[in-house]
Amino acid sequence: MMSELADWLSNTPVRDFSASLLSSIPGLPPVLQTIHLLCIVAIMASIVMIDLRVLGLAVPSQDIGEMIARLSPWTLWGIVGAGSSGIWFILARPNRYFSNPVFQIKFALLALAIILTFAFYRWGRIQTGIWDGAGSRFSLARAYAFVSLSLWLGVAMAGRWIAYSEYLFWSE
Amino acid sequence: MLNEFFLSLEYLPLAQNIGATWWFPLIESLHVVSITLMLGAILMVDLRVLGLAATRYSVSTLSRELVPWSAVALGVASVTGIAMFITRASAHAVNPAFQIKMLLIILAGINVAVFHLIIFRRNEDWDALINTPVAARLVAASSIALWIGVMLAGRWVGHIV
Repeated sequence: MMSELADWLSNTPVRDFSASLLSSIPGLPPVLQTIHLLCIVAIMASIVMIDLRVLGLAVPSQDIGEMIARLSPWTLWGIVGAGSSGIWFILARPNRYFSNPVFQIKFALLALAIILTFAFYRWGRIQTGIWDGAGSRFSLARAYAFVSLSLWLGVAMAGRWIAYSEYLFWSE
Repeated sequence: MLNEFFLSLEYLPLAQNIGATWWFPLIESLHVVSITLMLGAILMVDLRVLGLAATRYSVSTLSRELVPWSAVALGVASVTGIAMFITRASAHAVNPAFQIKMLLIILAGINVAVFHLIIFRRNEDWDALINTPVAARLVAASSIALWIGVMLAGRWVGHIV
């Protein structure tokens, strides 16, 4: 299914447009990649800091409910920005990406991470008085924070490994 | 002579091992993750100094709680950065993007020293204010611009081979 999708994309004008965009404007690839990284910064500073706060590891003076309200727009715009800066690379070389197992892992983790994160934000906003560090709902929040932290670090690291998947999947 | 030194780094067994195995992508991905975490923590303090975010917290509270994270992340980024540098030291040393990146890191270091050693020393009158002094704002804005420049130059290193 992935390779059919990639083949179909390869035959659309979108592929030609993206490929010529990336190759004709000098310096555009590193600029787009830097924007992509800056959006990951926004994601790290919002999601990871909330996770670390819930786990009791960082920013003890900040209130978790207040953090979710203040930082969730940064998460949303970070994801939107990372998507819109990264998509050109996929559209320009669909076959290279869709057939890459690390790319598939990255997007599976990403889908799970996005769903979990926004579900937690929604849940966290309607919960009051659970953030004092006791009770089963707070334990659930801690379990979420650990999973979320692992997922998002996994997504960020997998992104960099796409270019090196041969070490993992086609060695020897 | 300097070039010979860089070449001798490349011939270290450690450098050869990193460059030829999955160690390299592992180190590179840790470099990226630590940089994003570092800049995230720095940005939170800078945007507060600029009065643009988290204004309910004082500058000293945010700084006290976030600077250690950015320092640890900078440490990881430095170790992983050096580990990657030694695999191709002589080529990186003459790479203009790499040279600009190092220059910008030095400037960012001076900038943060100016903030913590001079400007932030006299913070009692404005610690909790949204309207922070112009000097503090200038340093915060420079910090954001310099670190974005470091990131752009760093990403550019890989495009000049």
